[in-house]
Amino acid sequence: MNDPLDNLLDARLRDETRYIDDAGFTGRVMKQLPRRRFSWSTQRAFIIFAATIVSVVIAYFASGEGMFVHDACARVSGLRPLQLLLLIFACGTGMTIAGLWAALTRTHDMTV
Amino acid sequence: MELTDADLLARVIVKGDQHAFGELVRRHQSPVRGLLRQLVRADVELADDLAQETFIRAYKNIRSFRGEAKFSTWLYRIAYNVFRENARKRKELVGIDESQLQAEVDPQTTDPGLRHDLMNALANLPLHERTAVTLCCQNGLSHDEAARVLDIPLGTVKTNVLRGREKLKKMLAAWATE
Repeated sequence: MNDPLDNLLDARLRDETRYIDDAGFTGRVMKQLPRRRFSWSTQRAFIIFAATIVSVVIAYFASGEGMFVHDACARVSGLRPLQLLLLIFACGTGMTIAGLWAALTRTHDMTV
Repeated sequence: MELTDADLLARVIVKGDQHAFGELVRRHQSPVRGLLRQLVRADVELADDLAQETFIRAYKNIRSFRGEAKFSTWLYRIAYNVFRENARKRKELVGIDESQLQAEVDPQTTDPGLRHDLMNALANLPLHERTAVTLCCQNGLSHDEAARVLDIPLGTVKTNVLRGREKLKKMLAAWATE
């Protein structure tokens, strides 16, 4: 049989576990938290953007100030209509695949 | 649907979501503040300062939480460490020692109620017994969880709880006959 004093003690100790009202405590903690650092996805976007800018600048100067663009345009203008259509279709397909891949990756990030 | 602690933790760790951490603070503030109030003997202001420090430290080290124990157990462990560091500092600054702390009397002890007798009896237990009784009998931790929080062997926790309870029972014996 249980000791009545044990029962009394258990009951009273449990009763003493009262809920302490928040009363602004959480707000005070939140104000003192260290400033939020950029999340990994933000850092990744920043790195990709910076790398793109640097690559474009390097390519511009390495290619004789963008002469390759002029040459490419001249080459494209010499294509037959069917060849031009195929090129546009290939570019569109490539962009669609890249967009889908990016969207799927983002969905995965959000469900982690 | 209410998010679980694990969901909120994932948001804090993966996205640095401070709102999710705020929700965790809201959920766990009461037991953490309650534990610290017991440890510092009803000095509410000091207990709340230590509780704030506990949550800030938890936020800074959130990535070290491996999920091996419950989040609340991890918080209790941090709270206990914060309390110990503070007690050490106070001892250095004002020369308070444990025996003096034990002699402190709750200003409400003149109230003849059982509640105050119990709180006074609990406050007069030695620190290691008071902490073990508070964690296991009030906050509902298992002996194993309390051993993790206090970083002491399981057998020591059991002994401290047993001794603490025996002392409380002795102090409260008069109430059982009424």
